[in-house]
Amino acid sequence: MPLLKIDDKEIQVQSGATVLETAEANGIEIPHYCYHPALEVVGSCRMCLVQVEGMPKLQVSCNTFVGDVHPDRKVDGKYDMVVHTQNDLVVQERKNILEFLLLNHPLDCPVCDQAGECYLQDYSFKFGNAHSRFEENKRVRSNEYLGSQIVINHNRCILCSRCVRFTQEISGTSELFVEARGYNSKVAALEEKPLDNLLAGNVADICPVGALLSTDYIHKNRIWNLKKQSSVCQDCSVGCNVDVFSQTNQIFRLTPRENHDVNGYFMCDIGRYGFHRFEEIERVTQPMIREGDSFVSFKWEEAIQETVDRLNRAGGKVAGVVSPFQTNETNFMLGQLVDGIIGNLSQTDDEEINYPSGFRISSDRSPNKRGMKDVCPEILEDLISEIDKQNIRTIYILDNGVDRDFDAVWKSILSKMDFVVVQTYRMTMLAQSANIILPGLAPFEREGTITNDGGRVQWLRPSLPIKGESRADWEILMMALKALDNNAQIFTDVSQVMKKMGEKIPAYKDVSFFNLGDKGLSLNGIASK
Amino acid sequence: MNTFKPILTEHINQQDCHTLPFYRSIGGYTALEKVLKLSPEDVTQEVKDSNLRGRGGAGFSTGVKWGFIPKDSNKPKYLINNADESEPGTFKDRLLMNKAPHQMLEGMIIAAYAIGCHTSFIYIRGEFYKEYKLLEKTISEAYESNILGQNILGSNYNLDVVIHRGAGAYICGEETGLIESLEGKRGWPRIKPPFPAIEGYLQSPTIVNNVETLSCIPHIINRGSSWFKSIGPEKGPGPRLFCISGCINKPGVYEEPMGIPMKELIYEKAGGIPGDKQLKAVFPGGSSSAILTAEEALDVKMDFEDLVEKKSMLGSAGVIVMDETVDMVQACLNIARFYAHESCGQCTPCREGTVWLVKMLTRLVNGGGKPNDIDMLFEITDNIGGLIDFSKGSYGKTICPFGEAVAWPVRSLVEKFKAEFLEYLPEEKVVA
Repeated sequence: MPLLKIDDKEIQVQSGATVLETAEANGIEIPHYCYHPALEVVGSCRMCLVQVEGMPKLQVSCNTFVGDVHPDRKVDGKYDMVVHTQNDLVVQERKNILEFLLLNHPLDCPVCDQAGECYLQDYSFKFGNAHSRFEENKRVRSNEYLGSQIVINHNRCILCSRCVRFTQEISGTSELFVEARGYNSKVAALEEKPLDNLLAGNVADICPVGALLSTDYIHKNRIWNLKKQSSVCQDCSVGCNVDVFSQTNQIFRLTPRENHDVNGYFMCDIGRYGFHRFEEIERVTQPMIREGDSFVSFKWEEAIQETVDRLNRAGGKVAGVVSPFQTNETNFMLGQLVDGIIGNLSQTDDEEINYPSGFRISSDRSPNKRGMKDVCPEILEDLISEIDKQNIRTIYILDNGVDRDFDAVWKSILSKMDFVVVQTYRMTMLAQSANIILPGLAPFEREGTITNDGGRVQWLRPSLPIKGESRADWEILMMALKALDNNAQIFTDVSQVMKKMGEKIPAYKDVSFFNLGDKGLSLNGIASK
Repeated sequence: MNTFKPILTEHINQQDCHTLPFYRSIGGYTALEKVLKLSPEDVTQEVKDSNLRGRGGAGFSTGVKWGFIPKDSNKPKYLINNADESEPGTFKDRLLMNKAPHQMLEGMIIAAYAIGCHTSFIYIRGEFYKEYKLLEKTISEAYESNILGQNILGSNYNLDVVIHRGAGAYICGEETGLIESLEGKRGWPRIKPPFPAIEGYLQSPTIVNNVETLSCIPHIINRGSSWFKSIGPEKGPGPRLFCISGCINKPGVYEEPMGIPMKELIYEKAGGIPGDKQLKAVFPGGSSSAILTAEEALDVKMDFEDLVEKKSMLGSAGVIVMDETVDMVQACLNIARFYAHESCGQCTPCREGTVWLVKMLTRLVNGGGKPNDIDMLFEITDNIGGLIDFSKGSYGKTICPFGEAVAWPVRSLVEKFKAEFLEYLPEEKVVA
């Protein structure tokens, strides 16, 4: 393996590794704009120039490869390459490049959404000049829409071409290109094909400056006001890793979080903007019992007691409905409560979308079908026949939270029931047909695990506080279990449920928050049941 | 006066010199016949031995370049004839295409044979419409006579030649920009490595040679590398087409041996300066070369090495002559404007820096100059293209040599004619 010396550090590298990637992996910062690990190297921003001993020119570290050299040609008799990232020449060159980049940049940081997470700000602060020597007029252009949700501020653009390459290489849609030449160059979208693919939002993320903006977030907040929570997207069974940015009770944006076992660097716009779906819904935040045609609020103890009374009255004849939208822990707990007849609400598949880069949007737009099947006893294919056969008249439903009309199957099931418990966060059609509504948590309030369709268990973390009297879904089920059986185990935290689940479901024995971390845990190919 | 007899342009004044029958009558395509009986390696070796260096501007050894084509690659190989002649003050390739297109084509076929290429391109400057039409005819003549196509001249070698017209960008004369353009993309030069000889057109091994370079090839094959090497300096020998323009009595293309003194070229060949005015300065190799003062120019030999010693370059051998009446500040602005217009816009220093130069020079010319501007002009040019004096620091700060192409002429103009720039400063602001 070649031996590379960067500044004072000796690093053994894989042959063919680039100086930039090696430096990054070893905690040496080399500023860069056009380089992005998911995109082809173009070497145009010139920000990552370093000095390589034996080469007359400074080299772009993104395209400088370290390889074995002949023993006679090793530097100081042992190094295959010696690189300086801090010497006067390099430090001065960074100043020069930043000066050029700022010539026509508006320096409108006070009103720029990128402020606080801008590489032009950060590198200028760290490596740039304190004064401008530019006395001429700046180039001024108007903003333009590249697509329905992406705006470009040409004045801020540094023409790194990341966005253009993204549409060529990642989405494969090629809506973007660079128009005109030289000083007049600007990023543009094809007139007949605006930037409206389902990955479009990513271009705003990979833009190193504030040029590309999502209309969804533009001028909404300042990044330093927002709390960042790492979590997992719940809008399809891929389970893209995300960061959720919120302030008090409101989510402002989602951005993808790097995970090479799941989503790479990106996410789709379905998930990115999906949080808005929960903003205007009719929430259920108190336990409620039907009285005639209306619902009356009750205290938790009363609602749980009523539920348990009805379950007891039904004897063993209770059906349970688990949900692919719920966490493993919640579905597992329902399996503990209702032993035997378990089904789930039917759900129609959407279109599966595959991109040339391998990025995928699953046809299964629920986040946890795999986990649901893993952690429950057998899930019946034909719940309705079983209900008929066993003459079941009581049902406990974990609501999907998707508000839509009942199909014939559901109408038929509900018509046979004497008593319907619906655990939900939202007044859905299903909730309206309940005898008791137990208020659970909305997707961004939940904590627990979900398992994606590749068998990776991931840590879903809460980004928003709990609303009203609502309680964690696993906790509601635990209260019911406890009321049914005084000797039932008490869990005070979801991690205890996880542990119990691991004891009962061998594939999940290693699942713990500690093992999951930020990247999740693969079930190592243990097949779902 | 030397007694050099033109080689590439020997027949250009004769009737129908561009036709195949004429070219055949002066022994055309005999070099090709000879080559088809040799091995590609032997042909490459002969060209390598001739020390032929590229006539496009960079002056890289042609034979060495051919040798970079990987022997073990099973990808197709491509030869591209770079006929995108756009350097200001350069008009030699156009002449060769007009007057001796078969000489160029023969060179192409030999080069293609040497590198194992079966599809070759002529990338011709978009504005050269007449030449494009003529080359189409040249190529169809060649196909009809089995000089192109299958089993060329009875051998088992096949070659097709395709003409591709540029769309009007200077940068597409840069070989990787040219390749991108040929692929139908934007003419943005590519980062190296990989070099075109390894991954060029369609990611396949590709050689890009200039029209004049290729036109030399048949003569090297016919008369041998030692003959070629005997013309001019041994390290960069051969005939060279010098394009003389500007303040000169007889502007035009002059074929002379490498190493001819500039003085002889200007005063004897091209008839000196109109009105017997004083020589002020010369661009020796197109507008991207550093300018020479009259004193430097009259002392220089027109070969690769002597010009590098004078901190300039032979480039495309476009000699632009300026007499005592030329305003060097206006000339500087003119050149900066050209390069700002032609910058592809990919690399930061070139995209931003060229226009900075234009804005500053325009302000200076319009009477708004500030004392600090002169120093800034040095700094900006250094930051675009690096220093001319390599010993003092790094050079080459952009993907392609365009950065140097703007930095060197502008910087040298300011450096060598600083007094004229200072004169443009408003009086009260001149620092004593």
